[in-house]
Amino acid sequence: MNNSEHEYRLEMAGISKSFGVVSVLKNVNLKVKSGEIHALLGENGAGKSTLIKILSGVHQKDSGSVVLDGQEITPKNTHEGQVLGINVVYQELSLVNDLSVAENIYLHKLGANKTWMNWKGLIRDAQELLDSLGFKIDASAKVKNLSIVQKQVVEIAKAISEDTKVLVLDEPTTVFDPNDVKKLFNILFKLKASGVSIIYISHHLDEIFTIADSVTVLRDGVDTGSMAVADTDKDGVIHLMIGRELKDLYPKRNIKIGQVPVFEVKNLTAKDTMVHDVSFDVKPGEVLGIAGLGGSGRTETAKLIFGADKKKSGILILNGKEIKTNSPVDAANHQIGFVSEDRKEEGVFLPLSIRRNISVTSFDSISSRLGFINVENEYKKVLGLIEKLNIKTPNSEVNVKNLSGGNQQKVALAKWLSIDSKVIFIDEPTRGVDVGAKIEIYNLINEVAKKGVGVVVISSDMPEIMGISDRILVMHEGTLYGELQKEQFSEENILRYSIGEPLKQHN
Amino acid sequence: MALTLKQQLSSPGGILKFLVKYNTIFIFLLLVIFSALISDVFFTSVNLSNLLKQVSGIGIISIGMLIVILTGGIDLSVGSMVALLAVTFAILVNIFALPLAILFTIVLGFGLGSVSGYLVAYQKMAPFVATLALMTIARGMSFIYSKGSPVTFTTVGGQYMSNFANNSTLGIPNIAIVFFIIVIMAMVMLRYNVFGRLIIAIGSNEEASRLSGIKVNKYKFLVYAISGALAATAAIIVASRTNLGSPNMGMAWELDAIAAVVIGGASLNGGKGTAINTLMGVLILGLIGNILNLLNVPSYPQQVVKGAIIIFAVLLQRFESK
Repeated sequence: MNNSEHEYRLEMAGISKSFGVVSVLKNVNLKVKSGEIHALLGENGAGKSTLIKILSGVHQKDSGSVVLDGQEITPKNTHEGQVLGINVVYQELSLVNDLSVAENIYLHKLGANKTWMNWKGLIRDAQELLDSLGFKIDASAKVKNLSIVQKQVVEIAKAISEDTKVLVLDEPTTVFDPNDVKKLFNILFKLKASGVSIIYISHHLDEIFTIADSVTVLRDGVDTGSMAVADTDKDGVIHLMIGRELKDLYPKRNIKIGQVPVFEVKNLTAKDTMVHDVSFDVKPGEVLGIAGLGGSGRTETAKLIFGADKKKSGILILNGKEIKTNSPVDAANHQIGFVSEDRKEEGVFLPLSIRRNISVTSFDSISSRLGFINVENEYKKVLGLIEKLNIKTPNSEVNVKNLSGGNQQKVALAKWLSIDSKVIFIDEPTRGVDVGAKIEIYNLINEVAKKGVGVVVISSDMPEIMGISDRILVMHEGTLYGELQKEQFSEENILRYSIGEPLKQHN
Repeated sequence: MALTLKQQLSSPGGILKFLVKYNTIFIFLLLVIFSALISDVFFTSVNLSNLLKQVSGIGIISIGMLIVILTGGIDLSVGSMVALLAVTFAILVNIFALPLAILFTIVLGFGLGSVSGYLVAYQKMAPFVATLALMTIARGMSFIYSKGSPVTFTTVGGQYMSNFANNSTLGIPNIAIVFFIIVIMAMVMLRYNVFGRLIIAIGSNEEASRLSGIKVNKYKFLVYAISGALAATAAIIVASRTNLGSPNMGMAWELDAIAAVVIGGASLNGGKGTAINTLMGVLILGLIGNILNLLNVPSYPQQVVKGAIIIFAVLLQRFESK
């Protein structure tokens, strides 16, 4: 290794990039030493992903220089980036579902220089690699049969399967539970010890302060600071990220919660998923949290109620009247809203404009009987929501795919906030969303509750669900295992119910 | 607050971007200029009105194809439907009063399209397969009902239609006016009507549409039915032009319609495409045929040129998406 000659393994200096008229990066610098874990922080839309994509060769910079081990590099595509030793694990998984885990891990090598593949060797190598990571995954399994956590692990395995000099991880832990996060950190520490430079992007400041050596913060395409982690603290970093102090992440809500439930579920059992015997109610103005481990049936329960999955038995009661939701159309007609956890696949229309995304649920109120849209009303409504939700965009005609994750999430929410829902299910309201946008989303949830809507929030983020809920239901293996009142909220209690244990009796 | 034309042109690389964005219109204009330069017959009213008459039938089914493609589907049956419905119209016009014959033909087209729509939307059959089956069935039935030979118009009603189809109003062929009206209706529906908005939403993300409470199946069903009704309209027009309905009509028209939609920048994955650009696609294909005819190029090289134009148009659109 010749990196000892250079203080930094990687030096990105004066990087600028614009897409059309939108300037995304302005004179950004990023310097990473070898054997260092460097955190890259910033709100959604700050330019982190673009910077990484320039490094890896997805995008080409407009100006500036990228120097790796003392040599200027200009990768034209991700393959060139990989050859140079730059590997990126993106937020969006990029696995081939119909191939095996082993084939996915070595996808870039398949057919590289041999005519015939050594399948056994391939699977053996992949299995060794996976085992060394500490996750139990069968290398010969088809990727489509893996859980989302396992897929993420395969993605990471893929990135470190070759001579990696710079490894970039973009929000790797969004789908992980604390145990998995620990395993991942162990992997990263090992890689670090072997001299790999790691760029770590995350919204979880706790993680940053656990593993990172140094940090660079971006805000609106400008780097606002770069320092050793030891020289700063959470407040300092947050200040650099949003340019203001953060008083309270979970805004207070002063709402009188109704006595009579707006919505009741009785003995709901699914036909095709493991959800069974789910009974609960939500009152007007209440924010009801549903917690539980990944795979405990939270999302499936919401989808069942919304009519997206088939029911076997059970009763739904809205405002005292029994209703049937055999399809999402029925649910929407009964003014039940559902914001999916998977915003790209199920939430927004990426290729369509913000306006077309938002108005899709509210045509009833902006069109004539024959279906002709009152465009003026549509603009008024959409622009009003863009302003209210503080969606960062030059105008309403920008395609949603060009927005950052947090702003996409706001669009997904806007779709349902634009109509008068009676009950709204929000699955993972802030997954992959930065701090600033999180607060805005919590404020929105409060505002919706204030209107007397029953809000059901599903979340894996413990501080979040405790911060915003009036009451928390905990799911375990397909059914509700316990209910926590506000005074009982604690990570321990949620976790105990999540794994099917009773609460400790210490009062 | 869309950018003004001036802003677009003055931004860096603005002119190029502008050209790429409106590439179909520019290809069309280039072809017009080229045609005018190369042949002095091109800009005669006889030639232009012939050109419009030739493209109207395919143009109408292209609009049907566009709305199907917008949902992410495809309708291979339209060419054969034109044959079956042209034969049907010829038979009906010889029996019933003209308005009834027109009505029945269009209703039948809607009904046949509904079969594809039902198979795709409710039986979850792949659009390619369902409409391929309908394509074969419709062609076969057109030969059965016509006993293999053309059915000639014999009544006053048929005569009236034939006159209508071959005459012009204010210098524009009547059938082209029908085509243009359909294009304008499609433009309005796609831009300002809930129906258009929803089919585009479905084409761009079907699952998100479903979870937005959109009646996905209903709209998927409807686009095939409407495509069928438009095939019926095209059938009436082409039959009336020649005074007869023949089972050989509309041969491979579905492919020309798909080509027109694609040249017009629509994505076969759905969610992207406009009526005005499909109109341009139709006119571009028609122009190529027209100018090559004027230059006495035989039909086989014509096909080669058409194919090359499709590739060129789609390559140009690549720039746009970048």
